[in-house]
Amino acid sequence: MVLVLCSLARAQDIAPVNGPQDRDVPVHAFLHATVHVDPTTALADATVIVTGDRITEVGRRVKVPAYAVRYDLTGAHIWPGVVEPFCDLGMKSSMQRSGKEKGAHHWNDAVHATTMAAALYAEDSVRARAFRAQGVGLVVTHLRDGIVQGSGAAVLLADRSPALDVLLPRASANFSLDKGTSKDPYPSSRMGAIALLRQTVLDARWYARQGSEQLRDIDLAALNDLLDLPLVFEAKDRNDVLRIASLCEELGLRPIVKGCGDAYARASEIAATGVPLLLPLDLPAPLDVTDPFEAMEVPLSDLKHWELAPHNAHILRDAGCTFAFTTSGSERPDALWPALRRVVLAGLDTATAMAALTTVPAELFGLDDQVGAIRPGMLADLIISTRHLLDHQDTILETWVAGRRFVQVDRNRPDVHGTFDLNLDARIYRLEVTGMGPTPRATVRNLTGDTARVKASVQLEGQRVGLAFEGRKLGIAGPVRLNGILHRDGAIWDGHGQMPDGRWIAWSALRQVGEAPERVRMGRDERTLDSLYALPPGDIWYPDMAFGSPRPQDTLTAIFRHATVWSNGPDGILRNMDVCVAGGRIKAVGRDLRIATLFPGRHPPLVEEIDATGKHLTCGIIDEHAHIAISGGVNESGEANSAEVRVGDVIDPDAIAIYRSLAGGVTTVQQLHGSANPIGGQSSLIKLRWGRDADGLRIADAPKFIKFALGENVKQSWSTRATRYPRTRMGVEQLMMDAFQQAREVQRSQDAYAALRPKERALTPAPRRDLRLEALAEVLRGERHITCHSYVQSEILMLLRLADSLGFHVNTFTHVLEGYKVAPELRAHGASASTFSDWWAYKFEVYEAIPYNAALMQEAGVNTAINSDDAEMERRLNQEAAKTMKYGGTTREKAWEMVTLGPARMLHLDQRMGSVEVGKDADLVLWTDDPLTIDAHVVMTLVDGVPYFDAERDKELRSAIVAERQRIIGRMLAEQRAGARVRKARVQREGQWHCESLGQRP
Amino acid sequence: MKTIPFLLLLSTVCHAMGQRPEPAPVQTRSILVQGGTVHVGDGRLIMDGVVGFRNGRIDHVGNVATVTATYDTVIDARGMEVYPGLILPDATLGLGEIDQVNATMDEREAGDRTPEVRAIAAYNADSRIIPTVRRNGVLLAQICPRGGIISGTSSIVQLDAWGTSDATVRVDDGVHLVWPDRYDRNGWWAEPGPTVKAEANKREAILSELEDRFLRASAYAQRTHPDPVDVRSEALKGLFTGARTLFVHADEAIAIQEAVLFARRVGVQRMVLVGGYDAWRVGDLLRENKVPVILRRLHSLPLREDDDIDLPYRLPALMKAQGLTFCLGYSGGMERMGSRNLPFVAGTAAAYGLDPEEALRAVTFDAARILGISNDYGSLQEGLSATLFISRGNVLDMRTNDVVMAFIDGRALHLDGIQESLFERYRRHNAGPGH
Repeated sequence: MVLVLCSLARAQDIAPVNGPQDRDVPVHAFLHATVHVDPTTALADATVIVTGDRITEVGRRVKVPAYAVRYDLTGAHIWPGVVEPFCDLGMKSSMQRSGKEKGAHHWNDAVHATTMAAALYAEDSVRARAFRAQGVGLVVTHLRDGIVQGSGAAVLLADRSPALDVLLPRASANFSLDKGTSKDPYPSSRMGAIALLRQTVLDARWYARQGSEQLRDIDLAALNDLLDLPLVFEAKDRNDVLRIASLCEELGLRPIVKGCGDAYARASEIAATGVPLLLPLDLPAPLDVTDPFEAMEVPLSDLKHWELAPHNAHILRDAGCTFAFTTSGSERPDALWPALRRVVLAGLDTATAMAALTTVPAELFGLDDQVGAIRPGMLADLIISTRHLLDHQDTILETWVAGRRFVQVDRNRPDVHGTFDLNLDARIYRLEVTGMGPTPRATVRNLTGDTARVKASVQLEGQRVGLAFEGRKLGIAGPVRLNGILHRDGAIWDGHGQMPDGRWIAWSALRQVGEAPERVRMGRDERTLDSLYALPPGDIWYPDMAFGSPRPQDTLTAIFRHATVWSNGPDGILRNMDVCVAGGRIKAVGRDLRIATLFPGRHPPLVEEIDATGKHLTCGIIDEHAHIAISGGVNESGEANSAEVRVGDVIDPDAIAIYRSLAGGVTTVQQLHGSANPIGGQSSLIKLRWGRDADGLRIADAPKFIKFALGENVKQSWSTRATRYPRTRMGVEQLMMDAFQQAREVQRSQDAYAALRPKERALTPAPRRDLRLEALAEVLRGERHITCHSYVQSEILMLLRLADSLGFHVNTFTHVLEGYKVAPELRAHGASASTFSDWWAYKFEVYEAIPYNAALMQEAGVNTAINSDDAEMERRLNQEAAKTMKYGGTTREKAWEMVTLGPARMLHLDQRMGSVEVGKDADLVLWTDDPLTIDAHVVMTLVDGVPYFDAERDKELRSAIVAERQRIIGRMLAEQRAGARVRKARVQREGQWHCESLGQRP
Repeated sequence: MKTIPFLLLLSTVCHAMGQRPEPAPVQTRSILVQGGTVHVGDGRLIMDGVVGFRNGRIDHVGNVATVTATYDTVIDARGMEVYPGLILPDATLGLGEIDQVNATMDEREAGDRTPEVRAIAAYNADSRIIPTVRRNGVLLAQICPRGGIISGTSSIVQLDAWGTSDATVRVDDGVHLVWPDRYDRNGWWAEPGPTVKAEANKREAILSELEDRFLRASAYAQRTHPDPVDVRSEALKGLFTGARTLFVHADEAIAIQEAVLFARRVGVQRMVLVGGYDAWRVGDLLRENKVPVILRRLHSLPLREDDDIDLPYRLPALMKAQGLTFCLGYSGGMERMGSRNLPFVAGTAAAYGLDPEEALRAVTFDAARILGISNDYGSLQEGLSATLFISRGNVLDMRTNDVVMAFIDGRALHLDGIQESLFERYRRHNAGPGH
């Protein structure tokens, strides 16, 4: 039996060695320790037997073989080694890729499916030692580069050869939304990264079906294999977690997501996805907020994150999330246990905390029969500590990995701390020793009377000690230097020394009885800090930043009384009208509305009466051209055609622009792709439901749109060196023509496949999905509408003719600043126009732009809108509409339509919004004045009947922001006073995006 | 004396359709604008007022009943509003035409410290943008070099000129200093995110070099016959005699504190703060040191995520509450073509807490005082230049801003330009044949 165990318990190295092999299979016996066999079970005074690299016995009545090496661990604790699920240990040297990989690889250099961490792993003794110092025995490491990163390996930190230490060569498949070192221009944005991932997974499946007959791509082949592994995606923030979850759901994949410590603010949404998380343990340090002007630069979102970050784990636990911890991202390798201690003080139970370091990551990677607990048969990955690992006075003494011992702190090192009586040359002095490490701090003073005190230097070397001090203040003629030996765990020191006059003397020091040795970290008041860490945090706000709130707003059931209603209907502007909203819709518009008539029955709902006398009630403003609330770039500029990218993949629900625009009366926006390429990406249509997550912003069943662009941007005229086709407007035409021809072919092959009889179809592989061309096929079928960025008349006419020749329709020309020159042609095609009120001269193609454009186009019968393309202008679109009255003499009603019904029509949303009429969405704005005057302020903005902006509530929110800031800053200062390290304030200055904004790194 | 409806007069000056409007000839006939609401510019309002001017100078302002002199032409402005010409400080009109056509751009010199470059040397009085700005009531502007740390030397011009000679109102009025950013941007601009504090050492070096440069220039100013001549010190020396004003561009409270203390320390005689987002937070300091402010464009987003969403709009009211002197600027993105909206930022000031006449004052009287041209421009007072305009409605509201006549130094401007001409042309064209 023992023989069998031995052969199992010893990793066999087949490499030849220089000289005789070490054939010994050692047996180690750990005695009298408290053994934490798993997160919920601790055995007091128990024994663990380790044979070779495996645990062979655990228990309280274990017979210890005579040939075992014995360790008496009375008072100490034994824990399973920590499993680090996300790192790049041993990959550093592989990060320097030199250009595109050679060989039959994927066309895009951000796809590295063939990369294997197991093939690249190189010893990194410094980082491995830092990991082991924290008790980590096993890491899952991968090369963190690219969107498809290849496979990760589970590696034991046993300091043997890679062949022995790699426990599982293919432990994970890793992905990110960052192209890393790839020099390929595509993707240049986060939405492009998501699109590439989506297409590549589809291509891998196609490759397995039939694609390998057409081309050889070893990355697609490898990706198919990767998809069977635990799939780890790296997220940059909580919104990325949800993005990845929905992408994987679409592709039928089950991901594990490495998050960013801010998931608490979308805990229930994330829990609902069922996605397990890897949570970083890097907690933000308090900020230096001493100077109030300096502190103004720190947004509340940062302050709140600082306060809530330690609470992330227990909030996610309560929401029902599964998670493991990772030290990835932590600046300091020794931060694991202090951070975890804070997380536990904040409210996470110890069992879940320990499980998240051991059993959970082990299970996520299918290693739970090998690591994560202390059971016979498992790998001997152990931590030996002086106290409970979460005790701040705990010291990790040893880390064992695969049965190999790594001493962190010499268990037998004498503890020299304390107050001693120093017997020296027939006198007694008092010696006090504090501080850590091999050179503790010490002072010497006389036992009685005077308060003179001198510093002494202490040097420890194992059991030997050196001590020196200047004796003049203590009545000795000069320097005293002593050498000695430590006895009784440092309680007694004795030896010989030399006095100032050269005499050699005998000396001794005795620790005072009752003096408990204690290791104290200098300058930190741990007890105060602990009590601060245990304080409950403030509420989570939705979104968790300025102007967010802890609770969602209710849907109004209300009647606005005596308003001047801008109906946008046949009746125009009506005075003294009542408007009733209920269930998110406009229920009634009329004079003297009666509740009893509107809500017949015995139990009418509670109807709020809102006095709108003297005020103006309009439908919400619709911005046909916006780039707000988009994360990771508005342009996928890497390719001339990026029809496959979806802005809807990267909605940022935490953008302050949403709230600011609401306060300007905007309720709906089209989030457009930028104009860096002739065929851009797919739009997203959202309502400004501030506080909801990305899905909560989407307009359900919204019509599909795609951005096209013409002119200077797409031909990259800002660059003298660009070589991307097209460089001229002529090339733009042909690029579009070619793309539509390809789309037709895709359509034909898909139609042919769909037309097969079921039997034939079963025998025929499905054609390759090409998401780029499928989007254009949708345009050809009339299922997707084009919004085309355009300026000069020639290019507008070009696209109209191209559309006519290929039989598709151009829904909207946006910007269209020379639209006034071709207004009859626009009308004849049935195209709408969405333009600026008065922008011009920012580039050559707008030198003939005139502010009369909108009025002229509308006059010619073109459905016309005024848009913003700008987060600042978006909140003053009412004023921009008013400019059409100044420039061109538009009527009030027509001017107002340009930011409401006009854009609603061109977005095909006019059945639901764009006017104040019964049955339409209750997207309403109450104004203090005629909204076309500069004096008008928004009183209230409703989206689906919910007052997401209310000027009165806005005042309360402002006070709440101040109060919340002051409260958190108070906490930061308290932690600073108690000795916590602070970091410099960081500043947030938002960038604004226009459609010209390129999603490229500088 | 002959009373003519203004439309008739307007039609006589509209002979330049389809081109840049021709600069107007010198005033030869005396003119009385009669019956409108006269906005003096300093806050006063004269209902049923008159403004009379001859040889380019105002010789009478008052109620209709107060007119004693006779005028060659009387303009009936009943039901209309009469304003002093609006003044646009901190602008780049004429220094650039089309942002993305490099050859047309003259606003930024190479190097970070170029006090010697003079805006007037490059000012293009023929810029097609200028007539469109004038069209909304802006008749004067301070033209400033941009960029770097010491951007260069500005000049003040009137906006209807044949060239730089007749455009110049005040040459080389000030030197522009962009206070070094206290923060370095981080990351990339598509994910603008965190900005970290500028590396302390680097910034200290810049500030100490700046101080050194100013102290040396101050000493240089004492030389009666400098030899050799140093063009940079020549440009700066006026700051120490009061001949030139130091315009310091800064927004954050701490940067403003630093800038004011700096100007005082190096002996700058007159400083104006430009930007001034946080100026109201350090009102005492600005009052004590008599530093007026050209406020940043009000139509902008709050600088900080946590700021009140309408904070930029309320800056003028906050400044007023602090008793600070200020006027309104329009610099920033799209500043040249966008500056025709200057009246509307004043309108926003009025919508957010200022009295409408106070808001007007921030683009007329106080702008002139801050730029040092109030003896000639900025208000409708006897003896001042006849630089004024008539609007059918409130000029500060985009809906009613409708400038029908304008005068610079008494010269009746041709207001309509290429944009109006294209409007008329395509209105006819789009109506089809026979129209």
